[in-house]
Amino acid sequence: MGPVTMSVMQATTGVAADAVIQVAGLTKRYGDLVAVDGIDFEVARGEVFGLLGPNGAGKTTTVEILEGLRVQDGGTARVLGLDVATDAEALKPRIGVSLQTAALYPKLTVTEVIDLFRSFYADPRPTNELIDALELGERRDARTADLSGGQRQRLAVALALVNHPELVFLDEPTTGLDPAARRSLWDLVLSLKRDGRTVLLTTHYMEEAEVLCDRLAIMDHGRILEMGTVDELVSKRFQERAVRFDHDDALDDAVLAGLPAVSSVKHDDDAVLLYTQDVAATIGALLTAAESRGIEPQNLGVRRATLEDVFLDLTGRALRD
Amino acid sequence: MHALMALTRANIKSYMRDRAAVFWTLAFPLVFIVMFGLIFSGGSSNLTLAWVDQDGSTESVQLREAFAAQPGVTLEDMTKDDAISAMEVGKVDSVIVVPEGYGAAVAANSEGTPGTPAQVQVYTDPSRPSVTAEVFQVAGSVFGVVNLAGRPPIVIPVVETVQTQNLNAISYFVPSMLGLSVMQVGIFAAIPLVADREKLILKRLAATPLRRWQLVGSNVLMRLLIAMTQAVIIIVVGTVAFGVEIVGSLLLTAGFVALGAVAFLSLGYVIASFARTEDAANGMTSMIQFPMMFLSGAFFQIDQMPPFLQAIARLIPLTYLADALRQVMVGGAAFAPLWVCAAVLLAWLAVCFGIASQKFRWQ
Repeated sequence: MGPVTMSVMQATTGVAADAVIQVAGLTKRYGDLVAVDGIDFEVARGEVFGLLGPNGAGKTTTVEILEGLRVQDGGTARVLGLDVATDAEALKPRIGVSLQTAALYPKLTVTEVIDLFRSFYADPRPTNELIDALELGERRDARTADLSGGQRQRLAVALALVNHPELVFLDEPTTGLDPAARRSLWDLVLSLKRDGRTVLLTTHYMEEAEVLCDRLAIMDHGRILEMGTVDELVSKRFQERAVRFDHDDALDDAVLAGLPAVSSVKHDDDAVLLYTQDVAATIGALLTAAESRGIEPQNLGVRRATLEDVFLDLTGRALRD
Repeated sequence: MHALMALTRANIKSYMRDRAAVFWTLAFPLVFIVMFGLIFSGGSSNLTLAWVDQDGSTESVQLREAFAAQPGVTLEDMTKDDAISAMEVGKVDSVIVVPEGYGAAVAANSEGTPGTPAQVQVYTDPSRPSVTAEVFQVAGSVFGVVNLAGRPPIVIPVVETVQTQNLNAISYFVPSMLGLSVMQVGIFAAIPLVADREKLILKRLAATPLRRWQLVGSNVLMRLLIAMTQAVIIIVVGTVAFGVEIVGSLLLTAGFVALGAVAFLSLGYVIASFARTEDAANGMTSMIQFPMMFLSGAFFQIDQMPPFLQAIARLIPLTYLADALRQVMVGGAAFAPLWVCAAVLLAWLAVCFGIASQKFRWQ
């Protein structure tokens, strides 16, 4: 009785009244590898929360623990008020899951796969409603092996929505999709949010995180490095703007760091980034320095700091596909 | 229950759309049956008759010569007891007994003093109608010459029946092939299982309220259904196309088909426990199926194998499934009593189930 009463108390009185996911000190090891290293976060009802990080950061392991597919080695995870380590079976009817790879019976058709998954739940959504919502109407009788990457992902999301889930997990929903398919999936996630569902998604695309996520956690090597809204994450670190241009050996870092108003110099592949409080002063001095060496900075531009800059600043490397 | 049935239906659809799986489990045994059926039913009218002469007269020797002169007939002289047991185990097709006093009876009749006709006993097995017909044909033409037309018969054949355990080749082969295809149905389950795990389908199902027993249960249901379908097809083809007579209980046949299917399915789960990829599962399945196929007595009788192969044959489950099916369906000679066959299959089921429940990985 004790733990049940506790969770009711929390749900009705505590600050965490609206917390759909509560994670504290979560740890998972595979042999010597610490895949998830003591992370803490909460997700509120109705929020789209993102786990952003490179492959191997521990995002998928975290999500699979929350889905009840893996058991953690340490810490606690409560989802919809249930302890996932002990109450996974009670949790499963209430969540929707889309795995990193769309897991589909290759020889069954779209309709057959949806009907199969409908049979697992007490009060499933009508097949046609799901097919229409995910724009799979033209492919309803196609075998899943014959679907395009975008269609497969949409079907995977449809399967995650069969049971009117309160909480939807989307693990790398747009990896490998072309830009148009990615946009269409983003629209879908935003429509889930409008319906009042809570979404936990993982991604390694900065742009995706910026467009979709109310809040996000940046993960690397099993740890959460920073957490907040996109604006919070960016403005906390960067009051400045970034001046970027293609790297040229004639301008070394020592010279660049000495330019007026430059607070730091970073490299992102072939690009040089100068973070500055005074764009005009920095660019003027940069052009003068370049001219004196007989070169001209290529692809010169100015932008506000983005999540990309935050990640670069946090980890010292860029986040790439 | 709804989920279990839906999953079974989905599995059957996937299976029916997998041409390789359908070929190996349904068509392959049938191809073998048709092939062997055509080879063995190709009008071989060679009869081996045991000749028992209890009279030792000139007339009985003449009768022997008349039989020996028939095309395709081989005679082997034996005592009556030896002859009957030779027929029971299938070394001879029929036994002809010329009783004491035959010569005297024939001599009396041909001298125009008709008394009781001389009796010659012909032993046949009614469960082998084609052989019986051939024996009667040969006997008929011999006695037709001895008994002149229009006169009271001098010699009449007296038909005695013997229940033989010998099977003609196709009767031996049909239940053996049923056993073989039940094995395929079971162990080939490993391949889609590993494929579903590789494609993360098992993991995706684990994230639904579906329970593991439903997953395994749907697999068992589906495999049982396929095995029973095979049994019907093979029995129909065997009886209709090749005249194999099913002498035993169909219910008991179905029972052994079901037991065999479940035992081999558990072996399939063992394969799926150790194979990481679909290709590995394919390889391991072949590695197990081919030796099992050839050592089980499905193609070659076990007592004709070298001793060390016989020792292996004694261990493998297909030996006992095929043996049980031969005993039940066509009254084949027992390699082991039926209860031993059932016990061995149950033991394999228990051991494989134990291994798979420890080693099978769902993700």
